[in-house]
Amino acid sequence: MDNSGMSMIAGWYLARDVIMMEQMPIFGGYCGGVEETAICDVATMLASFALFDCDIHLDGPIHIRWGITTTRETLQIAAHAAAAIDLNSDLLLANQYYTLAGPCTEMCLLEVSAQSMTDTASGRELVSGSASSKGVVKDMTTGMEARVMGEVAEATAGMEVSEVNKILDKVLGLYKGQYSKPPMGKRFQDCYDLKSNTPTYEHMKVYDKAMETLRECGLNI
Amino acid sequence: MASVRALTIADVYDRFVKGKKVPESDWDYTIIPQKLTELKNKYKLDFGDKIIPEDKKTMNDLFAAGLEMLVETGFYCTDLGRVMKVTEEEVWDGIKKTPTKLILGEGKDIARFYPRRGNSPVKPIIQGGPTGSPISEDIFVQVMQSYAQEAVVDDLVNGVMTTYQGHPAKTKTPYEILATMAELRATKEARIRAGRPGLGV
Repeated sequence: MDNSGMSMIAGWYLARDVIMMEQMPIFGGYCGGVEETAICDVATMLASFALFDCDIHLDGPIHIRWGITTTRETLQIAAHAAAAIDLNSDLLLANQYYTLAGPCTEMCLLEVSAQSMTDTASGRELVSGSASSKGVVKDMTTGMEARVMGEVAEATAGMEVSEVNKILDKVLGLYKGQYSKPPMGKRFQDCYDLKSNTPTYEHMKVYDKAMETLRECGLNI
Repeated sequence: MASVRALTIADVYDRFVKGKKVPESDWDYTIIPQKLTELKNKYKLDFGDKIIPEDKKTMNDLFAAGLEMLVETGFYCTDLGRVMKVTEEEVWDGIKKTPTKLILGEGKDIARFYPRRGNSPVKPIIQGGPTGSPISEDIFVQVMQSYAQEAVVDDLVNGVMTTYQGHPAKTKTPYEILATMAELRATKEARIRAGRPGLGV
């Protein structure tokens, strides 16, 4: 925390705003491994509510090497931290999405799907995304990623957690080998029709393929 | 109406000011990693190969470790270079007095938050948007509309408009504020075009 952060909180508090506080623990950074980062994640979430007037906490465990939230390790941290707090409180928890692949690629939609399954089954109340292409390349995000995030959450809600874990293993196995050369994908202008503001035929084919893959992995979608 | 928590932001600032002076490098390289290793060993935490925990003992142990981490280590202010301390009772007071139900948005487009508790059959709130990704000024409305028009989306999160009337929206310049206000206007237009003017942002 810094002084500017505390000053902003004072303003939001007096305005009676709903305060969403964001924090992204780095896996492989000062904290260390998966379990250590999850402990830090829980501690920081609790601090957000107890010290900083937070109403909804926005998490986002991120991988130090890849800069994304959709790796096996970062999903494991997010899931354990959320489940730990969910079991011991009624706090409102959210998570945000940073994928490696760009829009209009199956990998991007599978990354979003894996995280949506993880967040939903670990008890989070809100999912927020997606910052595709690591959230750093101009115009590389589209509404299609949010469609998949939402539809996968609907399909996952209520499932047995052990079943979700099995499907997650399959989905992660489909994209983890592509970290060093992820598909760049397309800019919004190149995969949406700007007159009708709808996804192009090619984009819809990619979406259909991702849904087919998820069904093959066992998700009822 | 939410209750006032044990510590207000002014209390927290005052506690930081009176807190122990600690070099940031000590905090980052020694205090945090050593305490995390100690707690991992104390609670014998090992997540194994399951992405989502299936046993309550792991969840409860992790919660206890996180609570102990916060209480034993405190919180760091980078500007003041000081650590504030918080008691376990104050943390629990904060947990208990945090709202557990919230409404975002207006009119027919509101999203209601309730605690889900485990993998509830009720899906989480879907917040669609570029999540802070850089977006060109000339297509900002269309990009935000692409999220607002998705039926499964309940709420929006902005992208970052990279320019304002062609000028880079650099930090600590007037263009940063001008671009932020333009983002909000563009997002309002996107919600109207999608037929969901009351979506929360």
